[in-house]
Amino acid sequence: MGPRSKDLSLLQVENNVEDDADDVIDDPSEEEESESESESEQEDVKLMEPSKTAIYNREGLVERLEDISWPENVDWMHKLSLDIDQEKEVDVNDDLARELAFYTQALEGTRLAFEKFESMGLPFLRPPDYYAEMVKTDAHMQKVKGKLLAQKRQIEEAEERRKSREAKRIAKEVQAEKLKERAKQKKQEIEEVKKWRKQRQQSGFKDGKDSMPDFGFEDGKSFERSSKKRPGVSPWDRSGGKAKQGGGKGNDKNKKNRDFRDSKFGFGGKKGMKKQNTAETTNDFRAFNKGGAAGNKKRKR
Amino acid sequence: MGKKRKHSETQAVEPKKKDEGAPERPKRTLMGWKDKEEVQTQTDSNPESPQFFRNKEKVMVTCSRRINYRYRHLMLNLVSLLPHCKKDNKVESRSSKGATLNELIELRGCSSALFFECRKHQDLYMWMARCPNGPSVKFLVNAVHTMEELKLTGNHLKGSRPLLTFSSNFEKDAHWKLLKEMIIQIFGTPKEHRKSKPYHDHVFVFSIVDDHIWFRNYQISVPHNESDKMVRGGLDKMTLVEVGPRFCLNPIKIFAGSFGGPTLYENPFYVSPNQIRALEKRKKAGKYAKKVKAKTRRKMHEQSNPLEPDEFADMWRE
Repeated sequence: MGPRSKDLSLLQVENNVEDDADDVIDDPSEEEESESESESEQEDVKLMEPSKTAIYNREGLVERLEDISWPENVDWMHKLSLDIDQEKEVDVNDDLARELAFYTQALEGTRLAFEKFESMGLPFLRPPDYYAEMVKTDAHMQKVKGKLLAQKRQIEEAEERRKSREAKRIAKEVQAEKLKERAKQKKQEIEEVKKWRKQRQQSGFKDGKDSMPDFGFEDGKSFERSSKKRPGVSPWDRSGGKAKQGGGKGNDKNKKNRDFRDSKFGFGGKKGMKKQNTAETTNDFRAFNKGGAAGNKKRKR
Repeated sequence: MGKKRKHSETQAVEPKKKDEGAPERPKRTLMGWKDKEEVQTQTDSNPESPQFFRNKEKVMVTCSRRINYRYRHLMLNLVSLLPHCKKDNKVESRSSKGATLNELIELRGCSSALFFECRKHQDLYMWMARCPNGPSVKFLVNAVHTMEELKLTGNHLKGSRPLLTFSSNFEKDAHWKLLKEMIIQIFGTPKEHRKSKPYHDHVFVFSIVDDHIWFRNYQISVPHNESDKMVRGGLDKMTLVEVGPRFCLNPIKIFAGSFGGPTLYENPFYVSPNQIRALEKRKKAGKYAKKVKAKTRRKMHEQSNPLEPDEFADMWRE
């Protein structure tokens, strides 16, 4: 049952359970329940049937209602209450359906109220230039806005990441295709030359230059600039031409240090399985800071 | 301060009455037949004549000691939603709770009260009572979400009069009708209250689902350009944004008096949270005993229904 499970979810198990005298409603029925439960060893025994000894004093209720209610002909403007028809039963545990039901009820109510107000000619909506104290402070609304923006940004970033992943995959496929193309082309050209040579051999070297077939690579196109994006980069450069970036501002000392470290450790890890602590490197202080003794003044000497 | 008000009110009323010509019989009000000279008690709504109804409802909002932070925030949210309420200090007493509270209400000059009682730092009970001798209700409050939650993004004027919407279930039975009336009187802001604001930009939803009263508070937002007029078709573009707070009330008992008195109604489906917890613990506690029982049961069962000797039992025996 819905509300029971709600109660459960809010409670934490305690060490000692004390019976609250004020809260016990029907002692006899409660004992019945617990007894039946332990006998039958059921899993989920809540108050399945309504306890039979619950009081319901209808006349008393009606009498009290008449006592407290306002007189009949009070203007609706004082009460501002609307009764909305609830068409179908809403399942308590289905959060979305329940909230939707509440929302539709509120919407219906507002529409009815608005029509009433319009017919009476009274102001209903707040004009946009009416500034007054709101029930939530501006600081709080800023937080709300921040949270909403953060959520939106998260979603967008996820979208972007997904798209870039897709694009990368497609680009990779295209690249593979291109490489295959190129390899095929190369093979084809070599084959052609071979064929031509064989042909020539077979026909005895008597033809002149006019029988040279046109090779695809003879036009000057291959001497044109290759469409490489980083032209100055050599193909064996594993850093892709980025090794020297940001080095313009470094001091000489740091740069030398950096250079030395790069050559030793950079861009590909250890360069070969070479010995590290040898006679030469023992006295090699290129990697260390000069003037290290004048360092930390705060340190006690 | 209260007295001045009373005087001015009676003075304002008298000339008006004289203008009406033949002296008519004073209307029957809640406090009996009223004479014009009689000083009206402040703690009552005064319908002298239908045209002159003034809602003078005042609600006192207090809580018990040892209240949880969450429930305290809920109480503060309600205080900001009801401009006609007076917040009072924490109430200490365990015994004679009713008497103390009644006294407090009289002292502050209020006509109703909302009392939040937090038991064991876990369960919140809300009392809704009408002061002098009116009925009172005790609820168990569940599913509390306060206005500070960032998921509830709406905002509205502080003190504007809410529209109260009730689901049609409220007419089904006597106790629901009584509850509806009490809710209208307590949660509805009196017209022309000092602290009330003119426009209506939020809606309260009270809906009965599964014998619980669910409360929601929505802000009415309509895109409109001019000041008061609605854009054509704006009624369709009206959206509601939830402001909060949210809670769910489970009625426990209705008493004839304020914070006591004979019980008029008990909820037959109500299980106190202590009972629920006790059942849980008992369920867990019985695990070992159940296991042992199951074992013996299995043994008995096996003994009583012996298996036929298996033809392959001796196959691998040396």
